[in-house]
Amino acid sequence: MIPLAQSSNWFGSHTANMFSAWQWALLGLVPPAIILLYFLKLRRHPLVVPSTYLWRRSIEDLHVNSIWQRLRKNLLLLLQLLLILLVALAVLRPSVAGRKLTGERSIFVIDNSASMQAVDVKPSRLAEAKRHVRGLIDEMRSGDVAMLVSFSDVAKIEQPYTDDRRALREALERIQPTERRTDLGEALRVAAGLANPGRSGTDPNDIRTAAALPADLYIFSDGGFAPVAGFSLGNLKPTFVPVGAEAATNLAITAFGVGRSERDPQKLQAFGRIENLGAAQAGSTVELHLDGRLIDADRVDIPAGQGHSVAFDLSGVDTGTLRLRVSAEDDLPIDNEAFAVVGVPRQAEVLMLTPGNRPLELALQTGEVSELARVRIETPAFLKQPEYQTLAGSGALDWVIYDRCQPERLPTANTLFVGSLPPVGGWSADPKTGGLEIIDIDQSHPLLQWLDLGNVHVFLGSPLKPPQAARVLVDSDVGPLLAIAPREAYEDAVLAFPIVEQLPSGGQGMATDWPSRISFPTFMLNCAQYLGGARRGSAQDSIRPGDTVTLESPSTKTKLSVMTPRDEVLPVPVDPSGKAAFTSTGVQGIYRVQADRQPYRSFPVNLFDPAESNLALGAAPSLSIGHTQVAGQVSWEPSRNELWKWILLLGLAVLAFEWWLYNRRVYG
Amino acid sequence: MPSTSTLLSPELLARLEAMELVSRKIFRGRMKGERRSPRKGQSVEFADYRNYVPGDDLRFVDWNTYARLERLYLKLFLEEEDLHFYALVDASSSMDFGEPTKLRYALQLAASLGFIGLVRGDRIKIETLGQAPRTPAPVFRGRRSLWRMLDHLEGIRPGETASLAEGVKNFCLRNSGKGIVVLITDLMDKGGFEPALRYLVSQSMDVYVVQVLSAAEIDPDLQGDLRLIDCEDDDQAEVTVSKAVVDRYKQTLAAFVEGARSFCTRRGMSHVLTRTDAPLEQLIGGFLRTRGLVR
Repeated sequence: MIPLAQSSNWFGSHTANMFSAWQWALLGLVPPAIILLYFLKLRRHPLVVPSTYLWRRSIEDLHVNSIWQRLRKNLLLLLQLLLILLVALAVLRPSVAGRKLTGERSIFVIDNSASMQAVDVKPSRLAEAKRHVRGLIDEMRSGDVAMLVSFSDVAKIEQPYTDDRRALREALERIQPTERRTDLGEALRVAAGLANPGRSGTDPNDIRTAAALPADLYIFSDGGFAPVAGFSLGNLKPTFVPVGAEAATNLAITAFGVGRSERDPQKLQAFGRIENLGAAQAGSTVELHLDGRLIDADRVDIPAGQGHSVAFDLSGVDTGTLRLRVSAEDDLPIDNEAFAVVGVPRQAEVLMLTPGNRPLELALQTGEVSELARVRIETPAFLKQPEYQTLAGSGALDWVIYDRCQPERLPTANTLFVGSLPPVGGWSADPKTGGLEIIDIDQSHPLLQWLDLGNVHVFLGSPLKPPQAARVLVDSDVGPLLAIAPREAYEDAVLAFPIVEQLPSGGQGMATDWPSRISFPTFMLNCAQYLGGARRGSAQDSIRPGDTVTLESPSTKTKLSVMTPRDEVLPVPVDPSGKAAFTSTGVQGIYRVQADRQPYRSFPVNLFDPAESNLALGAAPSLSIGHTQVAGQVSWEPSRNELWKWILLLGLAVLAFEWWLYNRRVYG
Repeated sequence: MPSTSTLLSPELLARLEAMELVSRKIFRGRMKGERRSPRKGQSVEFADYRNYVPGDDLRFVDWNTYARLERLYLKLFLEEEDLHFYALVDASSSMDFGEPTKLRYALQLAASLGFIGLVRGDRIKIETLGQAPRTPAPVFRGRRSLWRMLDHLEGIRPGETASLAEGVKNFCLRNSGKGIVVLITDLMDKGGFEPALRYLVSQSMDVYVVQVLSAAEIDPDLQGDLRLIDCEDDDQAEVTVSKAVVDRYKQTLAAFVEGARSFCTRRGMSHVLTRTDAPLEQLIGGFLRTRGLVR
């Protein structure tokens, strides 16, 4: 009746157990009582027959084991015992008959990215995911082990493999929502490191803490991330439980910045883009706050699936922090706010060393670039002078351009080599060759943003052999033409062809027609912004939650600290080159950098991710992991809630059948 | 004519009137012409001729034939025998079951056979097993005795307690001599039917055993936990009836009936099984005619 051997597993603090021990004992007495009653009060229907002569002869051999015979033949008794068994089973609220937790090892992976803060399921998607996991933890039997991993764009092992359900529950409660984006890949690698032999979550030399065994992988997420490519599940058996409603309402700010007005370059303008990611048309008031004061507002009505841009004039505003707010209530509040900083622009210090390059010089003298950067032009002979040595080693320069010349040592600055190679770092090139055709450009890199190089011809160049860490930005039919490689805190970009070529006759010839294209000055502007570290206009670029910000200290002696939007002040160590990496950018808002406790600069952190703001799960959510398609278990619920109801229903059916049988025997 | 008797319907009477009780033993002897009956000469119905042997009664020589052929032939005449018919009815409590009751059926059968005999002028005697050893039942003869016979039958009530063997023994003590005896019973006796039938074998009678069972006995419609009570000795049997038990009961019944049949056949008796819901005409006109009791 009652599985006494297992009872200890069910007793105690287990919430699945609805009875105390003495109540169980009472329930345990019921079946023997029923059997006893059947022996004592087996009510036989008296029937007068002509003769018992033949009946006696018929049942003579059956009398040998008549007690068991009686039990065997008594369907009603069996049904009653079955009923009691079912009731006892139902009271256990078991996961015995239909456990969803079938593996001995489980990995619960919970998405706590920004979109999990959505309230389309109450109280929130993350709370709903936690509820699912809590149900699974409750279903664990002793001996089952589980691991708890949370992930946004980074994964965190909240609780390594354990069979301690309390520890798992506590770890589960510790999971807090983040405002980061989503990337399942890292969580999978962490999980796989423990489930698959020969892989480790963090370090290839890592010693595995648990033996590599098959594990059930439960992913609780709302999707909203790209397919995980290049990953094999191996021993992991994935179950994807989508969390969230099929459709949700959400107005999201997907861009917000400050720039010069097109019509009047003297004026600053704040512009933002608001997208309606819900299924129905939505309208809202958009408010613009400067340092906490409402300075402007606009009204937007956006059809479903479309976006709308808003622009506000910032006449007379020089500095301050801006906050754009969509006032309408929707399912994801955190993308209803965006921040920007208006500040005094800091010009980049640029040094160009060239034997003479008119197109390059022109491109660095455009209004946009001169606003961003102070450019000093010297000949390659300057390399030998002590002033250069001082400049290159002090960190005073932001960007150095070496046009067809090569320094002995690389400076403490970003560099652009034109028609020459850095002396160190593993750069090499093929011999010069003519008629190179551009076949691919990497527009996702800031240097090539908005550039179209389809109409550019390169007449003469030396295809690059960039070092391993380099990223090829422009590729030709014979080899890379533009590549960029990191070097300590800096980056070196190398252009494989000179813009102009010294002719043997003494004059200058064009090695490419690029300077005659609109893309050339734009490229130089991008370089000034990216390599020069200058920021466009007067606004700081927004970074995304969780990203690392590189802060430049006014000097190596300065003590930097950052005040987060939650008013925590975090010290930031400065490295010898005067740079500091700040990583605690978890929440949206304005981060204020202080140098020696004096306000130094500010930078905004914004989500700006339409994929994260898009809450709709769709009718059939699924995950794509490597070559495996994991369909979402849409109607997934912890099984316990379902089971006891079914068992009780079965019990009722047994009762009805028993009643019918009884009636048929007595009155039929 | 008393209207109280419902044992025989007018239709049945009309059909029975054309029938005749037959004794197999006498029938056989007559066909072979070997048996000499002291009453043969008194019959008027010519049967056959046979050669004269010395010692034959000269009164039966056919003198006309002798005049023509000069050989002595004896004229043989059909006997018109006075047939003794006994119906021995089991009126124990166990016969008071079925629809109609087995006893009712037994009485109807006895009445039918008795009527056939009365019509043919046979000597009819209907007794029950529980009858006192020294009080013989009345004898009926002739069509006029029909109503008297029916009254006698109506007077038979169930509840007699004599065992089968005891009742048959008493019957044999009271009635000796030749004739036909039809024992109508269910054969359900805890002491077994064999001793009873052995008594009958010892009599030089034509013995017919008509075993009457109710439909409920042949095909019991029982279910559940039952306490079966024997109506005769209050014996109780606790049975949980299931299909398997019912099947087993049917096997036992079939073996029991077969045992009775083979017992009877081996001893020159006729055994007929009938059920109370089978029409009486079918029994008399079918089974009993086949077995040679009537024609």
